[in-house]
Amino acid sequence: MTEWQRLSPRMLLVHPVHEVLNQLPLLVGAIVLGSATQNPVWSLVGVGVIVMLGLARWFTTSYRIDDRDIMLRTGLLQRNELSVPRNRIRSVQTEARLLHRLLGLTVLRVSTGQEAKGDNAFELDAVRSDQVAGLRAVLLGEQRDDAPEGAPLASWEPSWLRYSPLSVSGLLMIGAAVGVAYQAGFGDALRDWVLVFGGPWLVVGAVLAGVVLAVARSLLTYGNLALTRRADTLNLVHGLLKIREHTYDLRRLRGGTLREPLLVRALGGARLDAVMTGVAGVGESSLLLPACPAATAQRVLVDLVGESGVVGGALVAHGPVAARRRWVRALVVPVVLAVVLPFAAVPGWVWALWAAFTVACVFLAIDRVRALGHRVDGRWLVTRAGSVERRRDCVQTAGIIGWTVRQTWFQRRAGVATLVAATAAGTKRYVLIDVPAEMAWTVAATASPWVADSVWCA
Amino acid sequence: MGAPVLMAEPAYPPSRSAPLVWALGAAIPWLAVALGQIVWFVLDGRMPWLHAGLAAATMVGALVSVVVAPIWRYRVHRWEISPQAVFTRSGWLVQERRIAPISRVQTVDTYRGPLDRLFGLANVTVTTASSAGAVRIVALDAAVADQVVAQLTDIAALGGHDAT
Repeated sequence: MTEWQRLSPRMLLVHPVHEVLNQLPLLVGAIVLGSATQNPVWSLVGVGVIVMLGLARWFTTSYRIDDRDIMLRTGLLQRNELSVPRNRIRSVQTEARLLHRLLGLTVLRVSTGQEAKGDNAFELDAVRSDQVAGLRAVLLGEQRDDAPEGAPLASWEPSWLRYSPLSVSGLLMIGAAVGVAYQAGFGDALRDWVLVFGGPWLVVGAVLAGVVLAVARSLLTYGNLALTRRADTLNLVHGLLKIREHTYDLRRLRGGTLREPLLVRALGGARLDAVMTGVAGVGESSLLLPACPAATAQRVLVDLVGESGVVGGALVAHGPVAARRRWVRALVVPVVLAVVLPFAAVPGWVWALWAAFTVACVFLAIDRVRALGHRVDGRWLVTRAGSVERRRDCVQTAGIIGWTVRQTWFQRRAGVATLVAATAAGTKRYVLIDVPAEMAWTVAATASPWVADSVWCA
Repeated sequence: MGAPVLMAEPAYPPSRSAPLVWALGAAIPWLAVALGQIVWFVLDGRMPWLHAGLAAATMVGALVSVVVAPIWRYRVHRWEISPQAVFTRSGWLVQERRIAPISRVQTVDTYRGPLDRLFGLANVTVTTASSAGAVRIVALDAAVADQVVAQLTDIAALGGHDAT
C-alpha cells in the first residue's frame, strides 16, 4: 500500500450533500439573490458552485501508507500534506453517520500523542466499511491472522438508561432552546405561554422534556455499546444511528478513572474513563463506559489494571488538617451570609433558604472529607477526591514522569501540601489534595524509584 | 509505607542579579499605572478621596511586587541537577518543588527576554512528555544556563525512553 490512494468513490455522492449542509448560509444567500433579482440563474450558480466544491474535495484528497509514515493530502487551493509517523499512532477511531451507513462507508480517524485539532487531525472521510478492519490492523501494527475475537468486557443494557436522566445535558438543551427562542424574538410568545399554562407547570414540563431528551440522547449515543479486549487492543463500539468505533492500543494504557457524579452515585452508578497516552483525559474521547452500575465499571477496570485492590481497596485518609480545610471551604459562604444578611433586613423565606443551603454545605463537607484519600505502591498510584464530581484515578507509576509538591501560604502554616503526579497520559496531572507535608515526598518516593534513589532523598 | 521520606533542598540559588531583574520587570507596569493616575488627577482633580485611595492601593501593590516579592522569591528559588533528575524550588506566596527524571526529558529550551539580556540572564525550561511536568529554572547567569543546557542534553541523549 505504498502508492497514493483515493477515498471511496461513493463519497462523490456524500460530499456534495455535506457541502450543501455546511454552506447553508451561502446557499440561502444565493437563493435570496436569485429571487431578489428575479433571475434564477444566481440560485443555480450557487448550488452548482457548492456541489462542485464537494466533488473537488474527493478529487483533491488522497492518502498513502508506507513503512514509516501515513500521509494525507487535502485542499483545492491551499494544498495540505499531513504526515504521521506510524509508530506514533495511539488509537484509531471510526464513525459512521447515517448517510455514510446507507452507502456502506466509514470515517476513520487516527490519533497520536499530540492533541490534534482541526487541520492537524488525520481523518479519512470516508473509506468503504469492509476496508476498515484491514486498515485498522495495518495502522495499529497488529497481526491480523492470529488476533482472536477477544472476550467481551461489557455490553450495554437498557437498564443503564436509568442513570441518564440524572445528567444535566437534557436541562442544558432546554435552557439553550429557551435562550435561542428569546434571541429569535419569541420572548413575547413565551410570556403568553407562562400566562396560559402557569409558571410551575411550564417548569414541570421543561424538566420532563429534559429527562426525555437526556434519555433519548443517551440511548442513541450509547445503545448497543460493546467493549471488547483483544490481544493488545481494546475495542469500543457504540451508537444506534451514528455508529462509533474506537480502538485503543493497550500498550499505551496507563490506568483508568472511575467517575461518580453525585446523582449517578446516589443510584449506585459510575462511569469509566481510560487513562491513556495520546487520548485526552476528558470528554468523549477517553470514555470506556458511560454511567452504568458501579459493579460493572469496577469489574472492567479490575480486568484492565489486573489488581482488585487498586480499584476497590481502602485508601489512606489525608488526616485531620485536610478534613478541617474541607469544612472551612464548605462553610465559608454560609457563615459570611449569616453575618451579612441581618444588615440587609431580608424577608423570612431568605433565612429558610439560607438554612437549607447551610445543611447542603454541611453534607458536602462530610462527603468530601470521606472521599479524600490515596493509595500508593510500586505499581499503582490511586487518588480519590470530590463529592459532586467524585473521581478515583488509578495511574500506573511507571508512567509518572514528574512530581510537584505545591504549598500555598495557608498550606505551609497548616503543614499540608498538594502533590501533583505528572504523566503523559489522560489529564496529564493527577492531584493528591492536602496530603500531610511530611507524607508528600514519601508517596512520590514509594511510587517512583527515581525519586527514592535521587541524591536529595536521605 | 516505611518511615517518612525527607527530601533535601536543591542546592543552587539563581543569579545574584535575579531580584533586580524581577523588581525592574515588576516596576515597569506599576510605573505605567502610576503615570495613568497622575495624568487622570491633573486632568480631573474632583473626588480627591478616590484619587488618594487608588494611590494608596498602587503604592501597596508596587511595594509588594517590586520589593517584597523579588526578595522573597530569591530566598525561595533553588535548583540542582543530578545525573538522574532535575529538581527545583520556586515561588513566594505559593511555593513549588518540582522534580523530573532526566531520562524522560524531551526538550531543553532557553529563553532570554529583553531585561534578561541586559543583565546577562537566561531561563531554562525542561519539558517532558507531560504538559504538567515542565521544570523551569529561571534567572540563571547566561554562562551557567549554557552549562545546564549542555549537561541536560548530554544526559538526556543517553536514555531513549520518554514514557509516552
